[in-house]
Amino acid sequence: MHVSEAIQQFFASLPARAASVLSSPIGGTLKIDLADGNRTEHWYVTLAPGSAQVSRDEQRQADGVLTLSTELFEKLVTGREAGMAAVLRNEATFSGHVVLFLAFRRFLPPRPDVRDPRNAARDHVRRLA
Amino acid sequence: MKDRFSILDGNNFLVSDDRGNIQPSYDFPTGLFSFDTRFLSTWILTLDGQPLHALSIDDSLSYKTRFFLVPGEPTHYLDSKVSVIRSRAIGGSLDEELTLLNHADQETEFRLRMEIGSDFADLLEIKNQREKGGHTTPTVEPNALRLTYRRQAFHRETVVTSSTPAEIDENGMTFRVRVGPHGEWTTRLNVDTVIYGARGEDVRAILPLGGRRTAADIAAEQTELIGHAPKLGCDCEPLAGAYRRSLNDLAALRYESIALGVRLLAAGLPWFMTLFGRDSIFTSLQVLPFLPEMVKPTIVMLAGLQGSRVDDFRDEEPGKILHELRYGESAGFEEQPHSPYYGAADTTPLFVILLDEYERWTGDAELVRRLEHETRAALTWLDTYGDLLGTGYVWYMSRNPETGLPNQCWKDSPDAISYADGRTPEFPRATCELQGYAYDAKLRGARMARIHWNDPAYADRLEREAAALKERFNRDFWIPDREYYALALDPRGRQVDALTSNIGHLLWSGIVEESRAPAVAAHLLGPRLFSGWGVRTLADDQGRYNPVGYHVGTVWPFDNSIIAWGLWRYGFRHEAGRICDALLSASHYFDGRLPEVFAGYARSLTDYPVEYPTACSPQAWSAGTPLLLLRVILGLEPQGDHLIIDPAVPPGMGRVELLDIPGRWGRVDALGRSREPHEEQPSPPALTLPGG
Repeated sequence: MHVSEAIQQFFASLPARAASVLSSPIGGTLKIDLADGNRTEHWYVTLAPGSAQVSRDEQRQADGVLTLSTELFEKLVTGREAGMAAVLRNEATFSGHVVLFLAFRRFLPPRPDVRDPRNAARDHVRRLA
Repeated sequence: MKDRFSILDGNNFLVSDDRGNIQPSYDFPTGLFSFDTRFLSTWILTLDGQPLHALSIDDSLSYKTRFFLVPGEPTHYLDSKVSVIRSRAIGGSLDEELTLLNHADQETEFRLRMEIGSDFADLLEIKNQREKGGHTTPTVEPNALRLTYRRQAFHRETVVTSSTPAEIDENGMTFRVRVGPHGEWTTRLNVDTVIYGARGEDVRAILPLGGRRTAADIAAEQTELIGHAPKLGCDCEPLAGAYRRSLNDLAALRYESIALGVRLLAAGLPWFMTLFGRDSIFTSLQVLPFLPEMVKPTIVMLAGLQGSRVDDFRDEEPGKILHELRYGESAGFEEQPHSPYYGAADTTPLFVILLDEYERWTGDAELVRRLEHETRAALTWLDTYGDLLGTGYVWYMSRNPETGLPNQCWKDSPDAISYADGRTPEFPRATCELQGYAYDAKLRGARMARIHWNDPAYADRLEREAAALKERFNRDFWIPDREYYALALDPRGRQVDALTSNIGHLLWSGIVEESRAPAVAAHLLGPRLFSGWGVRTLADDQGRYNPVGYHVGTVWPFDNSIIAWGLWRYGFRHEAGRICDALLSASHYFDGRLPEVFAGYARSLTDYPVEYPTACSPQAWSAGTPLLLLRVILGLEPQGDHLIIDPAVPPGMGRVELLDIPGRWGRVDALGRSREPHEEQPSPPALTLPGG
């Protein structure tokens, strides 16, 4: 079984988004292991200032490994789950250079239904009046 | 005698009673904790079925305690034929040595029993108890008792082993021993705490951490850290004692972050043994002149965890600096938002202030360049998500009504923000000190942009914005007929008019118009705010004033240290000195260890500072307070590659000399002496040369 369209799109979007997301000095390869039953797919994301390259090349050296189910990852890349909480409850695990995980986390989008807090606050104040 | 005894090494800590026992508790965090999980909630020693009680306790070290115990209750006539010594140390794990001394002149059989259990409570569940989502299973192994907690993939274990054979059951270990006349017997118990992560290994084994440390390692590390700090020589014992104690406590509060593999400062024992944005920034500001090496990891970590998306549950927004990161079950399963939680409106400007101050002391321009993106994002937050109502101020309103914090400033208890008559305002709220921090952050951001980011246009813009903010603030927050700044603006833009210690932070930020500073200083040192031991959080004639109310009348040492800095900044050396003197006098009553908070009773009423009932101790920003006061007393201010030394030692304090102050100048010495009444004005500020 292949990963979902959402995951494919997420990885495909990383190189273009890196310029705005990854401005600070960072470097290294994050390996993402997506487990689905007995199958595990490996994705490699190499992060550098302003750049993110995605590869399926099995020969790469990884500086950190994120392991989680395909199902959970799909929720992360569509904003329906949060990465750090998943690691804290051990549903996702991480080993290696955690800085890479923290940087990668910046690519994860907000919930699909999220509102701008400023609009919410201004509506709230209007209701007070 | 104290009734609770704590040892700690970073965020591993143990709180027991005066017998060394841990009794199951659901209202106070007694037990053995690591990364916000309680690994032991029962740890009770009996001898022949009898409780023991303490004759004496040696708790002079932060990571080691020794209890000298005899059987029976303390009210009994005592002629014990046996005594027990419990000697424990905490590092990566807990070691407890039990020694039984037979004082009889014949061989005697004893039955020593340790009752052992764990509820694996999340620290936050101890305040708000709830049914556990997982199950605990005890397993008796040949040499160990293993307690396993599982909830889905969340997996924690406590493993207790003994160096001598024991009869082990699911609730503890029993030792039946025969001890010869005047002989002794010893066993060594080890309590290992395991947090399972990737590949079924302990997370601390798979991340780049320093590994598990012994008590000897801790001692060596603390000695080294304190050895790097400047040496204080002075005539004033409260100051010398507080300085020594602060360095020890700060060394003990450092913990290894499971995220970066660097040593960060936990905020306070027992409730806040984790990374707090606000506490770690203020503590860093306090300790910069003394222990600059403690500051960089904090800055890097806060930048690494900067908010990147809008998340209502966590009150997260792009550019925002975190409030609090917890590692426990309730954070993982999102019963609490601390993964991390971003409900703080002050941490973001304070982050910018800290980075600038850090560079001014250390000359570490590389870090300022490396964090340019994060710092710009923080400055942008001030004018975007921070300005919720689009009025040019920083506002806060939680989007998590169940588990978020209503008040997102340092006074974060529910009733902390009120009008003078005691009513509380609607949300959003714009408290005054947030505007001061935003002003200072813009000016400091401008300095960094001009010097380190090569962006003078951005620097100009930030300076223009800061000037406009100052003007606006002095128009909207100043209460002319009372001559102080309102605590906050309510959502309709009206002044929340309580008289509070927050106006002291405004001096520190520099947002106070020069002509108004004398009135602000007079309020801070006046009888309504100043208790004699320090500045109260809320003036004693305000509606919600309560001398034992957490943020509504108590005295916070950290708050006072910032106020003293602010008074100094506006030239009120005498007033700053009074605060320094009051707090150092207070510290004497706590063996040099200022607690998180003490009561706001007038000094003339109580003669000694009354500790707030559940105050944390040690608390990082209270431990940092004597250090900042020392900076204020000696008038230490970096200027370019020099350190200005402009001492104003309060009367009666005598000689104060601080040797080897580290910074971009290398190391310099500062000397000050209090002026006796017959002496003339002090000499003008001295500018020291590098190495001078």
